[in-house]
Amino acid sequence: MEISPVYMPRASIIAAGFVLAGLVGLGAYFFPLFRTAASATPSSGTVAGAVSDTISNLNPIDVAPSQPFTVLLLGSDDDSKFPADRLNTQSMILLRVDPGSKQATMLSIPRDLWVPIPNQGMGKISTAYQLGGPQGAIAAVESNFKVHIDDYVWIGLNGLVKFIDHLGGVDVVVTNPVMDDFYPSDLSSTGNPYDYYRVAVLPGATHLDGVHALQYVRSRHGDLRSDFARSERQQQILLAIKAQATHLNVADLPTLAAAFNGEVKTSISLDRLRQLFSIAGSFGGSNIHRVVLLAPYTSEGSAAGQDVVLPDWSAILPLVHQTFS
Amino acid sequence: MIPADAVISSRPGRLASWLAAVTLAVAMFAFGVGIYNAAGFLKAGKSHVVRPNQVRAPSVPGTLYVAQAGAIYRSRNGTFAQITTESGWTQPAVSPDGSELAVVRRYENWSDLYLMTPSGHLTALLTHDHSPQMESNHWVFYPRFSPDGRTLFYDFDPKDPFNSYRVDLAIFASPSDPSSHESVQWTNPNYYTGGDVYPSPLAGGGLIYTKYSIDDQSQVHSQVWLQSRPGSTGVALTDPALDCGQAALSSDQKLVAMVCTKGQTQSTELNVAAFDPTTLTLSTPSTLVTGELVASPVFSPDGKSIAYLAPATPGGMFQLWTVQATGTPAPRELTSLLGLDSTSPPVWTAG
Repeated sequence: MEISPVYMPRASIIAAGFVLAGLVGLGAYFFPLFRTAASATPSSGTVAGAVSDTISNLNPIDVAPSQPFTVLLLGSDDDSKFPADRLNTQSMILLRVDPGSKQATMLSIPRDLWVPIPNQGMGKISTAYQLGGPQGAIAAVESNFKVHIDDYVWIGLNGLVKFIDHLGGVDVVVTNPVMDDFYPSDLSSTGNPYDYYRVAVLPGATHLDGVHALQYVRSRHGDLRSDFARSERQQQILLAIKAQATHLNVADLPTLAAAFNGEVKTSISLDRLRQLFSIAGSFGGSNIHRVVLLAPYTSEGSAAGQDVVLPDWSAILPLVHQTFS
Repeated sequence: MIPADAVISSRPGRLASWLAAVTLAVAMFAFGVGIYNAAGFLKAGKSHVVRPNQVRAPSVPGTLYVAQAGAIYRSRNGTFAQITTESGWTQPAVSPDGSELAVVRRYENWSDLYLMTPSGHLTALLTHDHSPQMESNHWVFYPRFSPDGRTLFYDFDPKDPFNSYRVDLAIFASPSDPSSHESVQWTNPNYYTGGDVYPSPLAGGGLIYTKYSIDDQSQVHSQVWLQSRPGSTGVALTDPALDCGQAALSSDQKLVAMVCTKGQTQSTELNVAAFDPTTLTLSTPSTLVTGELVASPVFSPDGKSIAYLAPATPGGMFQLWTVQATGTPAPRELTSLLGLDSTSPPVWTAG
């Protein structure tokens, strides 16, 4: 008996080809996520691709989302004025999250706070990162504020811009006109990083893209409260980012990782990041407390020929103990 | 052995098959790339912003002007028309007779004030705020015609000769006649607050605006402020704890709509209060909208409705809304796909 070969109809072959092409397209998008998830372990201390330089997870115990934890948020001017390995932190925010009570506290540390820096002597706390990297900044905060820090996140100028743009911008209420005739023109890697331009962020509820959000959190020349004003605005933008980030999920990580290109460093593992994502939406604005160390916690002064902010530890430590212990 | 003529006769058919196969392969590749991009777009969950003239909105009486992405749009009967290019245009104000608009054109380091017709034809440049020296540039914002149309109020940044870091906006007034070069500084802002903004001229010759202050606890407050003449101290119409600003007057100047934050930085309220020009007081405000990011309210020509800007979803772009001045029924969202400039108050005229 002769068996005739079975031919697939040509239309079916073409349809199968399109289905295969679609599956390849989906796979190309989601494969980095699966690879990221597969490569991450709770103690690896990295989010693959999103981190160019990490230290080991400071808290190797896999913290359940019901337990409080503390993260040090660091922001640096990482433009070409500064060598990549000699950056100060223009922004230091201590974030305490208590998933059990649904309470969180953000404490902004003045960049000019005059403190003993471990192994380096007295200095502005912003220089701890320059001299010791993330571990140096963490050691300075832990030793002075008597707190335990579980993790850190560092972000550069372009990292913040890209992150906010990736979120589609953020909504904030600009509390008062932010006017600055000497705003640094240093986002681009080309050109003179010492150039400046004029900024006018007008008041009221508004939608800010990454560049304008950065102007809002970075400008300080035209405000009576100088660095303290931008500390408040930084906390405000963090809240806005939190609100927007609840729309994200871990499938966004491949895009984020590609966008950051070394502009974000963190010790937070992917598992911890997932936990943070899972609980972020449960924190309302009224449950997030914001602290800026104005007087009487600090006072203006001078030391070693520099304008500095002098801490009153007798006032600061009880406040920190109450919130971060 | 295959005859030579058979080979010759099959070549065109084989070529067509190859061409079809290549075309299909390219189409499949493009389809795969499209799926990749679609996955990224859907996963990002970003809303697609369109130009106002690409959508229709529910019709409201009169004419509305709004700004988006540096262009001014005019809306009549629910249809938007783009009247300027996308080149820094914002904050339109209309003269009382509706014959001309005063509009800000914002550049990177300065802004200028122009007059244009309601269809967008430029008629005059009123300011020359550009300077080759960076810090000698000036800003001009928030133009407003006086009720008689003869004076134009606006924000301007006078330079502090003793401190170049200080940039506080102050409210000035000039004749709306473009041939005039007079200007009068009306307000004296508190130092290093960003200044006084958002002028609303009163029929009696006074001015309502938003004044900022910083208290002993370093907290910023905004208040609706009233001045009867240039340079006078003025009086606060709202309590500093309410943090009110962006005050808009109804056409009969008996009602004030304003945005208050009460110290919040992620939400606002739209409040309305009765204004008594004889006692220079506001009644206890009633709240029309709460829990949203309300910006830039403006009364309808008959004073019965208020248009304002707010995102439809948390973190979203700003859309155009209306609400009755009585608060009921609930606010109505007129647009959903736009990305309106929330610092540019809508203009609502009868014509």
